[in-house]
Parts: sequence; C-alpha cells; structure tokens
Amino acid sequence: MSAVAGAPAPTVVAGRPGIAARLASLLRQVLASRLGLVGALIVLAVVLAAWLAPVISPYDPVAVDLELKLQPPSLAHLMGTDQAGRDILSRALWGARVSLLVGVIAVAIGLVGGIVLGTLAGFYAGTLLEQAIMRTVDALFSIPLLVWAIAVVGIVGVGPITLGPLSIPNEGKVILLVGFLYVPAIARVTYSVVLAESRADYVRARRVQGANDLEIMATEILRNCLSPLIVQATLFIAIGIIVEASLSFVGLGVQPPKPSWGSMLADARGYVFSGEWWLPVFPGLFISFTVIGFNLLGDALRDVLDPRKREAGLVV
Amino acid sequence: MLRFILRRMVFSVGVLLVVSAVIFLLTHLVPGSPAIIVLGADASSEQVREFERRYGLDRPLAVQYLAWLRDIVLHGDFGRSYISGQPISGEVARTFPVTLEIVILAFLFCVSVSLPLGIVSALYQGRLVDHVARIFAVIGVSVPGFWLGLMLIVYGAVHLRLFPPGGFIPWSAGLGPHLQSVVLPALALGVYYTAIISRMTRSSMIEVAAQDYIRTARAMGLSRRRVLQYALKNALIPVVSVSAMSVGYMFGWAIIIEQVFNIAGLSRALLSAIFQRDYYTVQAVVLVITTVFITANVAADVVYRLLDPKIRGVAA
Repeated sequence: MSAVAGAPAPTVVAGRPGIAARLASLLRQVLASRLGLVGALIVLAVVLAAWLAPVISPYDPVAVDLELKLQPPSLAHLMGTDQAGRDILSRALWGARVSLLVGVIAVAIGLVGGIVLGTLAGFYAGTLLEQAIMRTVDALFSIPLLVWAIAVVGIVGVGPITLGPLSIPNEGKVILLVGFLYVPAIARVTYSVVLAESRADYVRARRVQGANDLEIMATEILRNCLSPLIVQATLFIAIGIIVEASLSFVGLGVQPPKPSWGSMLADARGYVFSGEWWLPVFPGLFISFTVIGFNLLGDALRDVLDPRKREAGLVV
Repeated sequence: MLRFILRRMVFSVGVLLVVSAVIFLLTHLVPGSPAIIVLGADASSEQVREFERRYGLDRPLAVQYLAWLRDIVLHGDFGRSYISGQPISGEVARTFPVTLEIVILAFLFCVSVSLPLGIVSALYQGRLVDHVARIFAVIGVSVPGFWLGLMLIVYGAVHLRLFPPGGFIPWSAGLGPHLQSVVLPALALGVYYTAIISRMTRSSMIEVAAQDYIRTARAMGLSRRRVLQYALKNALIPVVSVSAMSVGYMFGWAIIIEQVFNIAGLSRALLSAIFQRDYYTVQAVVLVITTVFITANVAADVVYRLLDPKIRGVAA
C-alpha cells in the first residue's frame, strides 16, 4: 500500500459520477432534511432490531410459560406477556425479521418483474410486444390484487411447500404475491422513463458506436429509471409490511408459533375487551413506527430525486 | 367520448372473462375434490362419484366453466355452496349491501376530510396547519387499518362505551344503533385513503398554483376567490379520479376490517369460505369484488376524461 500512498487519487474522467458517489451524495441530501433523518434513523433501528434479535431479545420468543401469562408491563417484561406467557418485546423484536424479509424481498421481486416488462415495452414501442405487455399491465391494474392474493393463499393453503429437501413456509407465498402486487406499478414507471429516453440522442449515439439493444437497455436507459424506482421501492417496502401484517392478522400470512406482528395482533383480538391493552398496543406500535420510518425516508428521497414531487399512485 | 367508454367497457369485459377463467381453474385444479372435503377422507368411491355427479363435477372442466359462466351471466346464479347447500347468490345478496354501506361511509368520510385538509394545507403552505396536516397524512398512510380498528375498539367501545364493540346492527334496530355500529369500521377503513387523497390534493393544488394561467389570472386583478375557483377546478381533476379508484381498493381492505369488527359482510364471507374450503363461494365473492373494482376504475377513467379537456378529444 505504501507504494501508492504518494500517488494522486484516481479521478473520474467521465462527466458522470459513479453510482457509489451518487448514492453517497443522495444519502447526504436525505439526511440533511429533518424528516428524512428521522425516517432513516427509524429504519436503521428496525434493521438493527431484526438483525440482532437473537442477541438483544430478553427471552425466547416462543417459550410458553402459562404461569406467566397475561402479565402487564413490568421491569422483567417491559411490554408484558401474552396469553401463553411469552415475552411480547422479544416476540416483537423477532417479528421485525419476518416483516423486513417480506417487505424487502417482495420489492426486489416486483422490481425485477416490473423493470424487465417496462423496459421491454418502452424500448420496443410501437411493436406487438409493447401492446401485449402494456395491456397486461392495464389489466392487472384493473383488478384488486390484494383480494386475489388473499384468495390465492386461501385456495392453495397456508401449509409449507416442500421442494425436495427444502421446505418453504407460507411466507414464501406471501412474498411472491406481494411482489406481484408491485409489478404493474413498477412496469408503468419504468415504461414511461424508457419510452422518453430510448429516443434520446445519446442512445442513438451508443447504437452508432455498435452497442446492441441489451447493452443499451442495461447501461444507458436503466440508469435513468434509478431515481423514480428508488423512491417507489422505499414506499413499497412500507406497503408490503402492512400487507404482510394484515394477511398474518387474518391467519393467511406467517403461521404461529413463529412470531410476527400481524399474528401477535390476531392473538390479541381476544383480549381487547378484557383490559389487557398491552397485547394489542405494542405490536401495532412496532408496525406503525416501522412503516412511518420507510414512508418518511421515501418522501425525503422523492424530495431529492423527483423535482416534480409526484405522489405515488395507489397500489392497494 | 362515447367511443372511449365503449372501448374501456369491452376491455373490462375481456379482463373479467380472463379473470373468471383464472379463478375457476384455480379452485378446480387445487388438489382435493370437494367430495372429500364434504364427505371426509374415508368416503367410499361410490359416494364420491354420486357427489360429483350431483354437483356436475364429473363433466369436462371446460363444460363446467361454460355452464358456470352461463348461469352467472343469464341468471345471476353462482351455484350452490357444497358446504352449506345454500345458493351462493343468496349469501352474496345478503352480505354485499353491508360491505357497500361501510365502504360508502368510509368514502364520504374520506372525501369530506381530505379535500378541505389538502386545500387548506396548500393555501397555507409551510404554516402550522400545513405541518399538522402533513403529519396526519404520514401517520395515516402508515398505521395499518386493522390495528387502528383494534385501537378504536379498545378506546371508543371498551373505554368510552360510545360504540358497540363489534357486529353489524341492521337498520331495523333503529338508525342510531345502526350508525353507531358502522362508524368505527368506516373510520378504520377510510383513514388510509383520507391521508393519500389529502396529500394528492395538496401537491396537485401547489402544482396548479405555479402554472402560468393562475399567474395571469392574478395579474389581471381577479379576486382571490375567483383565482382559487380556477385553481381548484384544475387541481381536483386527478384527485377525483383517485377518489373513485379508492372505492374499489376499499372493498379489498374491507376483508380485513370486517374481520376486526366481526361484521358479516361480503368480505368476511370470503374469509370464512376460505377457511371452510368452500371454494365455490370463494370464486363467486372474488368475482363480485373484482367486478366492483373494475367498475370503479372505469368510472374513474371516464370522470377523468370528462373533466380534463386536454385529453377529452384524444382516442384511448
């Protein structure tokens, strides 16, 4: 290392800064806004809680102890215990794992599906392929995908799916269906950007240089979709967490005894009338704060990335 | 305009046809014959054959589908539930008005709160009202409706005793008790869309206020009132369309909300059918909700075109 210590730092010759530099500058601008900072801190806290759940949870989240059931919050159990004597704080910390898992992977699936469809349709505008893709997207927009997700999980059943040695729990289906929920919206955003950019001079210039369609799509055009998609992805994580919790609440999401916020609230339903307020209150606060965090972060990102500050359309 | 409506309707009917085929295939290809669900796993093969003959399940799938579709289109008949033996149309006719009423109430709440809130927020941008409205909007899109419902029960029904803790009290029991039983569910259902629509109204107002024609109107010395009238007329175009769409989306979320409040509406009919593996009822309810959703979407599109002269003349 010492040999190059005296060498001048490599400078970026091209006019465009690299992705890493752009992300760093983006992060700086987001953290500069007060609400963006709050959102980022909440998201960071939830990510840490999910990651460190095995270390920081005071108790085993699934250990049943009927002698300790329905204890109000105390120093030993900061958020009390549930009907099976399980520590609510520990269950809520572990519940963050499933929520984030579903939220993030579902968005990843939605991004892959939506970007592929949107890019193809936008790039091959005027062809049958564009018509086929965009009419399908229109059709998907015109049906209630949440109801369909509920019906599909209900009909297929909530049991795990076994693929050889692998056993995929019901969350797998939930992730897939929530991801599907995002595809039409992401496809539309990508489509509109690609449609505008694929006629731009720099794309023509790249073609003259001998770049093929795939290269141009992968390098030049997707770069322009990055800004709106980062905003959407963040806001969609928030929606995914709410959808997962709602599905788990009605018994079609994460299956007990695995801790999740939605199923904790399903358990709490029976204690709403009898005064054990800590059962319904704390898991809901976890959901709400997490979702507020992602929403604030998404709004701050939009303020930086989208000068027109468009509101995201409805997806659920 | 007529041509647009016609094309939109043909497209919608097409979507409905595809959707009905998909849900039919889904419920009929899922492993496990209804005969086994009803008669039990130890039913003799003769009993199973007899059951399948009675419900027409021994015919080819395509014939079953066409017969099912014919009965729905010609007679509004969704067939019989093999669990209860009752006609499904009766169940739909009984539960649909309940859900519709809650959705309409939620919609009225939503529009009457979000429009003034969004407008005031835009007029006093950066002032206290605006900050309060924006904080409400972030919380509103983040708090899951079903948890809000639980909290409303804990506070409004159990603590204050102002509302019944759940259940649907019919009109016949008196207007007061009836309204009391639907206020909390409508609130829990409507808050998310109230937040979304107030945000949309705000950003749309701000965008319109920056347009040249508003500046011209001001420069001409028109009264503040007149200028506001012009701005509103244009700013509300996208808002009206999203509001119409939200009606469709609320039918989906009603599934979860009705579960919280123990209301026997259409959506809860779907959930109980799912858990009883009453697949014929599932496919009927999904089809009904999808039809409502598509109708709301078409209405949103038509209203949008009627209001916006810029795109009125453009073909679809």
